Amino acid sequence: MKYLWLVMVGFFWANFSMAETKEVPDDLFRNVANELRCPTCKGLSVLDSDAKFSVQIKDEVKLQLSQGKSKIEILAFFSERYGPWILRVPPKEGVSALAWWFPIGLLVIGPILVWFFVWRKHEVVVTAGVRSTEQIVLEMKKEVEAFKSRGAI
Amino acid sequence: MLPNYGFLLLYLCLIISIYGCAASVLAAWKRHRKLYLSAKAAMTVSTILTIVASAILVYLLYQRDYSVYYIAKNSSDDLPALYTLTAWWSSLEGSHFLWTMLMAVVSTIAVWSHSRDNEHIMPYVSATLQAVLAWMFYLLVTHSDPFKVQLPAPPNGNGMNELLQNFYMAIHPPLLFIGYVAAAIPFAYAIAALFYGDITEGWVKSVRRWTLVGWCFLTAAITLGGRWAYVELGWAGYWAWDPVENSSFLPWLTGTGLLHSLLVQEKLGHLKRLTLILAIMGFFLTFFGTFITRSGVISSVHAFGEGPIGPNYLMFLAVLACAASLLYAVRAPSILPPETEKVWGVSKESALVVSLFLILSFGAIVFIGTVFPIVSEAINDQRISIQAPYFNMFAPYIGLGVMLFVGIGNLLRFQTSKAPGAKKVIVISGILALPFMVLFSYLGKVFALSTGFNLYAQLTGFYFVGFGFFCLCGDLWLKLKDIRFKVGLFFKRNLAYIGAFLAHVGFLVAIFGFLGNYRGLEKKVTLDVGESTELFGYQFKLEGGIDVGKDQNATIFAAPLQVSRNGQVLYNMKPAQSRYPTKPGQVFNEIAVAGNMWRDFYVVLAGFDAKTGKQVTLNININPTVKFVWLAITIMVIGGMVAVFDRFRGNRSRDVVAGNWELGNL
Repeated sequence: MKYLWLVMVGFFWANFSMAETKEVPDDLFRNVANELRCPTCKGLSVLDSDAKFSVQIKDEVKLQLSQGKSKIEILAFFSERYGPWILRVPPKEGVSALAWWFPIGLLVIGPILVWFFVWRKHEVVVTAGVRSTEQIVLEMKKEVEAFKSRGAI
Repeated sequence: MLPNYGFLLLYLCLIISIYGCAASVLAAWKRHRKLYLSAKAAMTVSTILTIVASAILVYLLYQRDYSVYYIAKNSSDDLPALYTLTAWWSSLEGSHFLWTMLMAVVSTIAVWSHSRDNEHIMPYVSATLQAVLAWMFYLLVTHSDPFKVQLPAPPNGNGMNELLQNFYMAIHPPLLFIGYVAAAIPFAYAIAALFYGDITEGWVKSVRRWTLVGWCFLTAAITLGGRWAYVELGWAGYWAWDPVENSSFLPWLTGTGLLHSLLVQEKLGHLKRLTLILAIMGFFLTFFGTFITRSGVISSVHAFGEGPIGPNYLMFLAVLACAASLLYAVRAPSILPPETEKVWGVSKESALVVSLFLILSFGAIVFIGTVFPIVSEAINDQRISIQAPYFNMFAPYIGLGVMLFVGIGNLLRFQTSKAPGAKKVIVISGILALPFMVLFSYLGKVFALSTGFNLYAQLTGFYFVGFGFFCLCGDLWLKLKDIRFKVGLFFKRNLAYIGAFLAHVGFLVAIFGFLGNYRGLEKKVTLDVGESTELFGYQFKLEGGIDVGKDQNATIFAAPLQVSRNGQVLYNMKPAQSRYPTKPGQVFNEIAVAGNMWRDFYVVLAGFDAKTGKQVTLNININPTVKFVWLAITIMVIGGMVAVFDRFRGNRSRDVVAGNWELGNL
């Protein structure tokens, strides 16, 4: 009974704070949490992790979402606090932009290059005097036969 | 005493390999047959010695001889029999030893079983392989000695990493290493071709066969690794685009590319230089992957070991890259141009070039995504992460392109833009794919589970899986029609085609399985005994309190869970946590997986009330079509194995091309 007042106050406070925040849609929360890496695990998002640190981050995400912040604002908040390392994809500016431009450039320019270097290439190869391996071996065999017929071997 | 003998054997192997390498080089230079035979014998002897050394290590493992530092570190008295053996490859030194041993065995098989057509280049092949082997033996006797002794011996070992005490992790490393070492054979042949100055018919045959063997093992190994992650790590997925997964995936991509460029080379003589580059790159990437795992440059799930081996690997990689590039730059121009002229246009070779472009672009993207964080940190000291969302952004489009070309490319013919019947098959497949898409969307409950981009991605994916599948079947039908349905003859003469058919079907099924990732469900709940929760129409009821049991060396705390639907009991599951005697403070997940082809129920016991055991917290996941992925990979591996046994591919002019030595023997 000693702590009843605490429970009561807590209850009312909780009700009070519930009143000014809104329910967070699960999809939105998952969407945001999936963009943040779990700082202590490898290769996982905070969404997939139950490590202490991840749980804290998830709580923070939920809190900020309930305060009506947008996904971009929340990601910017974490990026400022922990550095761009906390985001699961590299930022699209500075040196990191290369990580974005390279694949896109590859997929766009690559086919053009292939077109130019493979399909449109009409290379004229001077084959005069160049013999294929098969040809050389045939000639060698002929010579051997010639040797044999002369009784040299 | 025994560990010292093991070390001595490895030391002997080092010396023998150095001799073998030198003798091969000399034999190649002077074209001295007997010298080459001595190098071949040297390789055989070093292989036998390594096998003996391995036997010693296995014996010591079963003796639980803790005076060997490696065994003390990775084994303990409580380990069950299977894991006592697999402790061999549960850490850095041992897995390097296993790799070296397999490398020696595979190299010896390759050198002894070579085709007569390749006899003239075998000294180069043997020199390359023994140079690599010598370096690996050097690492074994210096920085990565598995036989290092510590005295006095501790009474008990530290125990094996508990995450590795899993059946899939027991077989994943050996298969992966076989895949890796098989990639060394095409590499050695590529180096040999560059030194020799030309690629011969027999070359294609050997390289194709070894690439296929390596590809099969690598495919199986990567999947088993994924399966391990799925049943052991507890985040309900099998592929995280983790740097180490990527580094095993990269050689797989180059290997797949190599198979396709070899096909163009065999049929038309084109893309010879691309083949050489891919063979060299594949081998380079196997070691690059190990460098990433073992040096600790990128920390990751798999980075269990860290040691002084990193700088050594870096040096080896640098030497390898420089030497191969230099050799290529100097010698590649001497590779003769192809004799066929009428190529490209709307033909199979064009489709193969496009597919190659897609596969290799994907490789480039995966490579960038894997190494870019290191580069970024090195050049401007900015730490960034590149994880799954990055790769998932590009993968669907590449996958789409590949699916399209799997379908259309197989229908086209070499060297001609005329493909009788192909147009009809494409149109019919395009039409049939629609009901296919609708049927599978209905069966997979796609509309109920996803919206927006995810929904469209899945519908497109289903459509093109169907399209590709019908195209492949249509092509098979056309091919059979061409030989008037003499199926027996087809099976006898064209195993390569059947293998490719299976592998491509497997690929499409795999895509179908991957698409399930767009509609996974997840729920975290805390249940009391007798309480139940619902997810997507399925009831999960906690049947009783925590059961404490024993499984070999682990103590298991399992929560009995019943899955039912509309009152009908479907599965009884036991998600659990386990504790191991060597790590008293830690708990490990024993994930329960049950389900049918369409959905896996994947339950992790996240926590429980330790006092009463009557209240548990569960992470419940419903993962659709995961079983399709395992099925698909099985089909792909079977396809690859079938194709290995084709005796006719790459065998065109066996009687024309003869080794130089044959003339000398007359």
